[in-house]
Amino acid sequence: MLSFLSKFQHAQEMRESKDEILTGEIVRAMTRKNMPAIGFNTAGEDQRIIFKPNHSILYKVSITVDRKTGGSKISQAMFGSKAWITFQAQIKNQVADPDDLLEMYRTDAKNIFKSPMFGDVKLDHQLNSVFATKRVTVDIDKYIPQDEAGVQTLTDFLQEHINDVEEKLKPFKKG
Amino acid sequence: MSEELEQIFVSLVDTSWKRYEENKRNGLMDDLLVGAVIASNVEAGYALIDLESDGVRHYLRFEKLATKERLIFQLRNLTEDLVGAKVLGRHARVVMGYGTMTTNIGKIWKIFKDEVKSSMIDSNEPGVISFDADITAGYVYAQVPLLLEIDQYLDAGYQVNQPLLQSHIDATIHSLRKYLNGRLSMSGGA
Repeated sequence: MLSFLSKFQHAQEMRESKDEILTGEIVRAMTRKNMPAIGFNTAGEDQRIIFKPNHSILYKVSITVDRKTGGSKISQAMFGSKAWITFQAQIKNQVADPDDLLEMYRTDAKNIFKSPMFGDVKLDHQLNSVFATKRVTVDIDKYIPQDEAGVQTLTDFLQEHINDVEEKLKPFKKG
Repeated sequence: MSEELEQIFVSLVDTSWKRYEENKRNGLMDDLLVGAVIASNVEAGYALIDLESDGVRHYLRFEKLATKERLIFQLRNLTEDLVGAKVLGRHARVVMGYGTMTTNIGKIWKIFKDEVKSSMIDSNEPGVISFDADITAGYVYAQVPLLLEIDQYLDAGYQVNQPLLQSHIDATIHSLRKYLNGRLSMSGGA
């Protein structure tokens, strides 16, 4: 009986852990791209990992995995394992001056109607930092690699969205 | 003259940023090590199945999906502040564990518990191998606490000496696996 329960428990655990498995794969892929993880926030339902790009204009990149479906067997069968993945990149300038305040208002005004949920990149200007945020919906199973080709697919996916947010931030980087 | 003053100002800002980054970096070194442990174990074929972190205490659980072997890591930064880190070096208390799924977990766990009833044993001291079990999932673990110097795994900037870290994980897990399998075969649970 205990053996049966263990097998059931194991299958349930594996289903529930899919977002963690994807997070682990993201950390591996980002480490290979020379962007090691330097922060973990797992207090809520989602998992937010902060990465430090070693050779980039970006100061930090955070990737949040927020699983929406597939926690239970029924939900998995009906909807699959869908998750929101949010990319946020930050640039930091060493000197901020009053002119930056004007730039902040301009950036904010341009972004009022943008939503990172619809694939838009939303910019947020904060004195010496500018953040760019983009959110995409994915099927977790598609991005959990089974082999080296799968790792490359995940790496390309991450790189594509990081490039998107980086492009939007480039004009704001001083010096 | 004006150019000279501007140069001084620029150097003041530059030095300030270096100090700021040194403080920031010190607080992030345990997280950097946690990230490196995740990357290392995923490269070694384990899947991350549990991740909990409050910034100081970190808990990780991995499973090799083909064999159902599990690894656990608990890491606590012992030198969060820069002064302590500079004087002592950066230290972390790391508990590494190796777990395997057994069919008769109830019987095995009872034997293990009966063997270790002495209140004199302090399993928090480094090098003391202890057992733990997840009865519902059917796992028994051998685990060991170690006090590690974080700096030995870190190169300049935010780079990690991955081969050294991997060799230390491999050596510890190898010993725990050997110890647990030996104990399980003696208890009739291998």
